[in-house]
Amino acid sequence: MSDQDLVVETVRGLLAKHEPFDPTPERRWDAPLWTALAENGLTGVGLPEEAGGSGGDLADAVAIVRTLTAGAGAVPVAEHLLFAGPAVVAADLDLPPVEEPMTFALGPAVTAHASDDGDGPGRFTLSGTVTDVAWSGAARHLVVLAAGAAGPVLALVDVAGSEATDAANLAGEPRGSLVLDDVAASGALLTSAQVDELKARFALTRSVQLAAALEQVLAWTVQYAGERQQFGRALAKFQAIQMELAEMAGEVTAVTALTDAAVQALAHGDATFPLAAAAAKVRAGAAVEVVARLAHQVHGAIGFTQEHKLHHLTKRLWSWRDEAGSELYWSRVLAEGLLAEGPDGLWPALTRAV
Amino acid sequence: MSNPLTLAPAPRSEAAERVRAEVRDFLAEELAAGSFRTHVDTWLSGVDPEFSRKLGERGWLGMTWPKEYGGHERSAMERYAVTEELLAAGAPVAAHWIADRQSGPNLLQYGTEKQRQEILPRIARGECYFVIGMSEPDSGSDLASIRTRATRNEAGDFVVNGAKVWTSNAHVSHYGIVLVRTAPVDTSNRHAGMSQLLVDLSLPGITINPIRILDGGHHFNEVVFKDVVVPADMLLGEEGNGWHQVTAELAFERSGPERFLSTYPLIAEFGRRVAETQDPAGLAALGRLSARVLALRQMSLRIAAALDRGELPNIPAALVKDVGTTFEADVIEEVRKVVDVLPSLESPDPLARALAEAQLHQPGFTLRGGTNEILRGIVARGLGLR
Repeated sequence: MSDQDLVVETVRGLLAKHEPFDPTPERRWDAPLWTALAENGLTGVGLPEEAGGSGGDLADAVAIVRTLTAGAGAVPVAEHLLFAGPAVVAADLDLPPVEEPMTFALGPAVTAHASDDGDGPGRFTLSGTVTDVAWSGAARHLVVLAAGAAGPVLALVDVAGSEATDAANLAGEPRGSLVLDDVAASGALLTSAQVDELKARFALTRSVQLAAALEQVLAWTVQYAGERQQFGRALAKFQAIQMELAEMAGEVTAVTALTDAAVQALAHGDATFPLAAAAAKVRAGAAVEVVARLAHQVHGAIGFTQEHKLHHLTKRLWSWRDEAGSELYWSRVLAEGLLAEGPDGLWPALTRAV
Repeated sequence: MSNPLTLAPAPRSEAAERVRAEVRDFLAEELAAGSFRTHVDTWLSGVDPEFSRKLGERGWLGMTWPKEYGGHERSAMERYAVTEELLAAGAPVAAHWIADRQSGPNLLQYGTEKQRQEILPRIARGECYFVIGMSEPDSGSDLASIRTRATRNEAGDFVVNGAKVWTSNAHVSHYGIVLVRTAPVDTSNRHAGMSQLLVDLSLPGITINPIRILDGGHHFNEVVFKDVVVPADMLLGEEGNGWHQVTAELAFERSGPERFLSTYPLIAEFGRRVAETQDPAGLAALGRLSARVLALRQMSLRIAAALDRGELPNIPAALVKDVGTTFEADVIEEVRKVVDVLPSLESPDPLARALAEAQLHQPGFTLRGGTNEILRGIVARGLGLR
């Protein structure tokens, strides 16, 4: 058993003790599950040991996120491991203790002023409102892309004392707003290429989650069709149902192949990574319509209720496809990037992108 | 968590990228010299023996075959890059396509030494073309119901009677690999009693009648066999093993990039239009199409990598073909929604022409090589449903 398999087994073991639940204003996340993951050293995977992480590579972190996603774990691990943590490390900021959940948000309305509070360079004061903060109220630290006088700033701020508004996505995952009123933060100036890569990384984080959830929804639907009896036989024996499940499988396989390739592009540090991530996000988002619709169709009325587990993932699918940049946004970014070398450059760009 | 249809990711291949660059340079020169004009779906409609020979001279046919049979012992990943470049450019590859893609590999696997020696080097030189002899007037998706039969005469040779249809480019091809019934139907095993014959299309008793497709093009034919004597040594593989051999052949037939790039020349024209107008709706549509192309490339590359590992991934190939051919048709609608253009085969506007060609070829995409309903049945089996 490889190290990665071992990690996945550990996560599965922890998930088995934590039933998926519908996040509510009273219970927005699964704090005990996070604690269990942290106690097992899983919240530092993919982050360098010298920075305070537990080591391992991107593939290990992706494996953890995929497993937690398939199990509908209500914890900010994707944001923490695939996005906020690596961004903090890449910007050379001090990584907070990995047991404390980090999240990320774009903060177009947040300004970062370089502060002269005696702490030297890399200190900023943040002001403004950050909206749509994933796991607001649960995450202890926020990595935010703010506007600085000299250009974009990646800032890391402790939001333990900040009050978040109570908002959620379709799946009940916290997506509140935070008001930053002259809050001290560490930060680093970014180039526009770094900003592009950061946004792409955010999109890839959601794509990895989408791919894992799509795989699991297919698996649940295949299983259900094999168990559910109507007209004296299993649903899976009807050709009409087989066609639907095959169509779902086609979508899921397409998303997995492209998302895996985008993860590889990130791991290799390919210059075309932003295009790969854009494509993965668009493709994953497009698959949600087909897979969620057909999964619900095959599950029938029970899947349309909170009595059945299906909704834990379909509601996330419907949420995630529009987060971290919509399909509309990323499809335009992708097209503009592919046409960057002129009207005849589309095919060469496609063969280079991933 | 992972579904049973997912293959391992394809490793990156520098050799493939090198040959890709060579093919791209070659195509740019040929286009500049006016030796061909870009069209949609050229692996069906673009017959140009001169062009096929040029590919053969450069070592781009029979790429993966042993050198002793005129091949070049290169990887499936390299062949993938070559075929993908040719398709994206809308180059005239139809003459040799079937022979290079599936008949050659079929001969390599099941042919006698004599058959291989005589035929494979000619295919690799771009001089010998093949047709697929599977479908019949009354046998489409239900291939096991074929009625073309071969009986032995006193000399032990086969006497073939029956008809094959939708036989692409039979009028310009040299051989067919023809699936025939060599034993009466066994109702307890419908797949038994079939064989593949290597048939020289110039034999007496063979009549080739054109069947025109929607745009008036002559690619399809009906091939009628009346008491055609096929020498005994032209049996391919084992007598009675035809069904098994045909299934293996279909893996090659279904797994390549032609299953999602038939309408790529339309995307290329659409891209040129969007680059010019920068229309936001056009950019979004181009982005959506590109994301699907990129996903299909990854799926198809995984199949090429599996072939390099010596696998014959029938079920993933069926799945990619289902997704890919659906995409080929969807391209037309995506473009139509955001561009004001009248499709016309005669238009001076290349986008209008590509749209017209794509539309009139579209019904074939999800039929040829196994309908998408048949493919989904295979995928369903892969999912353990049947």
